[in-house]
Amino acid sequence: MDRRGLDTRDVTRIVAFAAILAVLGLPGAIPIGGSVPITAQTLGVMLAGAVLGAWRGAAAVVLFLALVLAGLPLLSGGRGGAGVFVGPSAGYLFGWILGAFVVGLVVRLGGRRPVWWRTAVGCFLGGALVVYAIGIPVQSMVTGLGLRETAVTSAAFLPGDLLKTVAATVVTMALWRAYPRAFGNPTRVRA
Amino acid sequence: MISLYRPGNSPLHRLPAGPKLLVVMAAALGISLTPPSPALLAGAAVAVTGAYLLAGLGAAEPARQAWRLRWLVLVVAVSQVFFLPALTVVANVVRVVVVILLANLITLTTPTGLLVDAIERALTPLRPLGVNPSRVALMLSMTITTIPVIAGFAAQIREAQRARGVPVAPLAFAVPLLIMTMKHADDLADALTARGID
Repeated sequence: MDRRGLDTRDVTRIVAFAAILAVLGLPGAIPIGGSVPITAQTLGVMLAGAVLGAWRGAAAVVLFLALVLAGLPLLSGGRGGAGVFVGPSAGYLFGWILGAFVVGLVVRLGGRRPVWWRTAVGCFLGGALVVYAIGIPVQSMVTGLGLRETAVTSAAFLPGDLLKTVAATVVTMALWRAYPRAFGNPTRVRA
Repeated sequence: MISLYRPGNSPLHRLPAGPKLLVVMAAALGISLTPPSPALLAGAAVAVTGAYLLAGLGAAEPARQAWRLRWLVLVVAVSQVFFLPALTVVANVVRVVVVILLANLITLTTPTGLLVDAIERALTPLRPLGVNPSRVALMLSMTITTIPVIAGFAAQIREAQRARGVPVAPLAFAVPLLIMTMKHADDLADALTARGID
């Protein structure tokens, strides 16, 4: 993995994606269903993994969450601060880190170029299923509602996450055609 | 960037950021993980209100913070009403609100800069794993200055689409935003390299 060799270009790309995550939270969340507002930020998590790859994608999410912890209201709906890390949606936030990693792992399997089907599978697996796998147990613990009941109420997000998977796939493939440099050093990306 | 911090000079403001973060988060987790009992919750609510008074934030501040959580409260309550007895639902909702209000005390009484410093210090033990704390701190402050730049790109794209009479489509918005952002990242990298910062 390219974890050791973090050069200046990697650093600024991680920074830029952390900033994109923040900007995606600006238009405002739509509070429907479950205690976790629907947000374009999970789309950003999928894109971070798909474009930057596993390690750098996860690093961008960690950087973004560190700023939220430091007191900046960067989550959708202007939420932020230490409170969100002990609230019902805390597990989903932590899930974003592993989620972005898994997205990157699947989309860029062994340093390959992104193809549409692997991008779609990776975005759904990492951006939705992994996030649920960490988010639902934590939500159940925080709110005191049983695991199964929490999972049932969280199913309200599935349609939105499917839509986001489609959007992330289309955007990733369009970006690959328009600006392949975004995906890293072109000489390192195998066709 | 507007932080959630409220300036002040209370004992809570003067506590060092790192220990405050640890103690308050541990207390919040403790309340969160103990089974809710009315006595414990009432005690915790009184203690949290007391801490807000001690921080000089006023008695109305906890109420204002709780009001901000109204959607969360509504959603937590509605999703539980079908599964749990009413009293348990009330206890669960009160616990969630108390825990969030408690954790928000850190954010309200600590400037963002001091919390960033605390994060940097907390990363020092990870140095053998290849984590460079000062580089992380640099990345945190770089992100803060990059957010308005990217927000500017987003506004530019929206305006260009409006000028052409195109309805703002999410996909036609995301692709140019990503290209502009990644180009900006590469320019930033060139600028850093030219100045000998790596």
